Amino acid sequence: MSALVSDVGTRTAVAAANLVKVYGKGDTAVRALDGVSVAFAAGKFTAIMGPSGSGKSTLMHCLAGLDNVDGGSVHVGGTEITSLGDKELTKLRRDRVGFVFQAFNLLPTLTAEANILLGLELAGRKPDREWFDTIVDVLGLRDRLKHKPTELSGGQQQRVACARALVARPDVVFADEPTGNLDSRSGAEVLDFLRMSVRKLGQTVIMVTHDPVAASYADRVVLLADGHLAGEIDNPTADSVLAALKHLGA
Amino acid sequence: MLRTIIAGLKARTARLVLSSVAIALGVAFVTGTLVLGDAMTASLRDELAKEARNVDVSVTVSGESSSPDEVQGISPETLAKIRQTPGVAGADARGSHSVPLVAANGKAKPAWAVPLASNERLREFDLVDGRYPAEADEIAVDKRTAATAKLTIGQPVVLLGKEDERHEFTLVGTYQQGTNQLVLGGFDHVGLTPEGFASLEPERPPYQVVAVAAAGFTQQQVLDNVRQAIGDSGFRLQTGEQLTEEALARVERQSGEFTTLLLAFAIIALVVAAMVIYNTFTILVAQRTRELALMRCVGASRSQVFRGVLAEALVMGLAASVIGLLGGIGVSALLQQVIFSFGDSGGEGTVQLPVTAMTVLAAFAVGTLVTVLAAVLPARKATRVAPVAALRSQPDSGEEVARTGLLRVLTAVLFAVVGVGAIVLGLGMENDDAAMFTSGAGTMALLVSVVVLGPLLVGPVNRVLGAVPRALLGVPAKLASANAGRNPKRTAATTAALMIGVTIVSLVTVVANSAKETVNAEIDQRMPADYTVTSAVYDRPLPEELAEQLAAVPEVAKVAPTTVVYGDQGYFTGVPKDAVGDLFRPTVTSGSLADLRDGTMAVNAEFAKRQGASVGSTVTVDPGEGEPQDLKVVAVVEGQGLSDGIMTIETSMRFPQAAEGYESILVKLEDGVANGRAAVEKVTDPSPLAVLDSAAETKEQLNQQLNQVLTFIWALIGLAVVIALFGIANTLTLSVLERTRESALLRALGLTRGQLRLMLVVESVLMALMGAAIGLSLGIGFGWVLTRALSNDNFSVDLVVPFGQIGVMLAGAVVAAVLAAALPARRAARTSVVAGMAEA
Repeated sequence: MSALVSDVGTRTAVAAANLVKVYGKGDTAVRALDGVSVAFAAGKFTAIMGPSGSGKSTLMHCLAGLDNVDGGSVHVGGTEITSLGDKELTKLRRDRVGFVFQAFNLLPTLTAEANILLGLELAGRKPDREWFDTIVDVLGLRDRLKHKPTELSGGQQQRVACARALVARPDVVFADEPTGNLDSRSGAEVLDFLRMSVRKLGQTVIMVTHDPVAASYADRVVLLADGHLAGEIDNPTADSVLAALKHLGA
Repeated sequence: MLRTIIAGLKARTARLVLSSVAIALGVAFVTGTLVLGDAMTASLRDELAKEARNVDVSVTVSGESSSPDEVQGISPETLAKIRQTPGVAGADARGSHSVPLVAANGKAKPAWAVPLASNERLREFDLVDGRYPAEADEIAVDKRTAATAKLTIGQPVVLLGKEDERHEFTLVGTYQQGTNQLVLGGFDHVGLTPEGFASLEPERPPYQVVAVAAAGFTQQQVLDNVRQAIGDSGFRLQTGEQLTEEALARVERQSGEFTTLLLAFAIIALVVAAMVIYNTFTILVAQRTRELALMRCVGASRSQVFRGVLAEALVMGLAASVIGLLGGIGVSALLQQVIFSFGDSGGEGTVQLPVTAMTVLAAFAVGTLVTVLAAVLPARKATRVAPVAALRSQPDSGEEVARTGLLRVLTAVLFAVVGVGAIVLGLGMENDDAAMFTSGAGTMALLVSVVVLGPLLVGPVNRVLGAVPRALLGVPAKLASANAGRNPKRTAATTAALMIGVTIVSLVTVVANSAKETVNAEIDQRMPADYTVTSAVYDRPLPEELAEQLAAVPEVAKVAPTTVVYGDQGYFTGVPKDAVGDLFRPTVTSGSLADLRDGTMAVNAEFAKRQGASVGSTVTVDPGEGEPQDLKVVAVVEGQGLSDGIMTIETSMRFPQAAEGYESILVKLEDGVANGRAAVEKVTDPSPLAVLDSAAETKEQLNQQLNQVLTFIWALIGLAVVIALFGIANTLTLSVLERTRESALLRALGLTRGQLRLMLVVESVLMALMGAAIGLSLGIGFGWVLTRALSNDNFSVDLVVPFGQIGVMLAGAVVAAVLAAALPARRAARTSVVAGMAEA
């Protein structure tokens, strides 16, 4: 297991250099990201943390190509994405990026199975049945596949979202507060799965969270404050993260 | 609370504008049809008012007494007596008869000739150009007649008198026949001096004298004086007031039918508009559940929230009603122009826009009342939810997808049973009108049943219709189909409006086309000849020489003249013996046409049934003038459009009517003749009365008339369909707003902008097709029912489905649906993913 991680651990999955993002104009302009340079190693589980308004969500949106930037560059798997048009960005998201959002991750009109396979279908790719089965079994979703999202619990919905993010074997999975709407037990299940997908399946995961316990599941925590990088913690624990956040004055 | 309402209205301007458009369109249609109906009544009233204008006393031939000394008309002596009566300032005779008018191309056409009063005040018409005729050889014609017959002032105008002798007049002026251009069709009209008029048919005296009173005499006094002067017997005396009343009563009768038709359309529009408005409000309020809940949480009472929603609806309804009212007046002006362009007035006419209190009331009732009522239900639903629960809920209104209630199914079944019952009852009726009405009402009950069942139908219909796009267009279509079916109640309400419109249009189209094809088939059967020569003027038969001249044309193989005899029980056709079975071929049900010889006849099956005649019995034909004849029945025949019986032309000559000339001449050309028409025209052209018809031309004429009527109905229902499409656009826009996060999610997962747009377009097209498909099935089915109801033993209307027109309708629905989706799709595609995800 550890051999697998160190094998790919040297490669960079996502990198940002001197990233600037400004909201508004003139007097009311807010520099949400003010020259952020950060790299995310492939095959690692990284958490982005910071107090409210620190720019962590903005950073994730820019890294994922969901939002345009006002300066700097972003590389995803070796491709510079800030210069890409909407079509190329859409294709990039389809083929190389997976998402797990805080809530409203699933289309209410589709069954769990159809939701899991939606990204592949959009890309016109045939699902790898074996891989699909593996993910479904690991996540314990086998008997839920024919259900609509409204018939699933919150934890089950987030697990379906995780399955969807992983089934396409993307370069990177972005998770935006994936446990924010869950009770602690369901949240732990989802986080366990994300960590396992990194350690056992070699997936790269970048997660935005404000919860020190959630962050403690990651291999590394990147701290953000006022649009600046404010430190890093390797092999974090809930306590070490909490201490670092206190230090930031949050 | 008021401030919140105003702020709310401001914040949701875009959504409210959309809903207001739907309301305004509905109001516009309702007021448009009402104003049009009033305008038609008003123009008829104008017309008839002219007839009674300045008339103080009217004397008409009563025609009631059957004594031998019955007054046939008003003699010059009677007129002179009236003129000399004390209190009469002026009096003039009125009369009218149909006279052939020879147009610039040398062909005669029927026209009404009237004498123009010598007393200016008693003239019914207003001069347009030139002057009134002063001499017996001068003439004035109606403005439209001048245009269609290509007559100009100063030119000679030829009218055909008795025995087709030519009377030449000089055209000195044109006049306006009142403003009744709104009455479709209409006759050509010419005016002469009383002397000129009398010279046309001297033996037909006028039937009315109108008089104007001298100063100081009341109408009643003059009436009494006139009665003393001419006596009471055989005359009917009326004051001008009574004449006007009578005229107005006639207006109500004449315009009633058309206004009823328009009202039916208005009701359809009203129902469609109400559905669209209701649907829009349901969605609007559903989307605001959280906002309303928040207001409850900060202390607004349930009734405050409820009143707030209603006040918003009231403001919107009032504003839209005003806009719709004005728009409706415009619609009416437009429709009047359409009617003018159909008539032969050459697109000219005076647009009248009477706006009655009734119209204004109807506009506000539709716009405001319906809007407020449409808001009550969703508002109640919104305020019944516990505030905290509402705050927590997702903005997706998928939760309101309730299972179709038992009540709904029961209501639908009830309407269906009533509908089917009425249809079956109607089909069993003998009387065509009653059968049409009963079956028609039955079909409408069935339509209601289908509308009520709508939410149940959405699922299966969507699955069937969605199959093709799902297979062709992939994921976006799959998502679109799922979206169209996700809220069956909403989709049903949205498509119901379109469904109703399409049902009515296809119903009318199918019935009209069936009738057209039936009549065409009848023409084919009736006109096996290549050409038929008939008279342009109905009571002027064709001269016998014409048949001889036609027979002499080398290209003509055979000629068969026909005569007509009007008896007291029916009318009969005389045909040459050798034409029977050749140019004239009815279906024989009993007896044999070979036995048709002098003194015998073949009768129509219907006539036989009516009169109890059969082969071997004798029928007495009494034509009124001349001796009644006993004819032996040798055969019973049937066929659509047949007269009551057939006799040989020699037999028909026993009757003076038939001896006057031929009713028509059937012409059969030699086989393979190239320009037979030109050869026949050489004979018919010089004759002013002869009109050359081929079966194809007759059909063409008929089809043109029918298509005009259809166009008019399409235009009217088209408005309802426009409202329905606005409903689709509305629903789609609101759904897009509701699904902002969902769209953002899809975009994040890799749906391109184009695919997102495609998805919404497909959803819109699916909804439109759902309405159109159900509507078409119903319309065609109902069309079948009505053609059955119209058919009886002798006259069978076969169902004809005009696939071309239905194709046009479907294509139109698809195009309109694409247009309806354009704006919402643009909006959805423009929203950035991050902004979309952030939307609550």
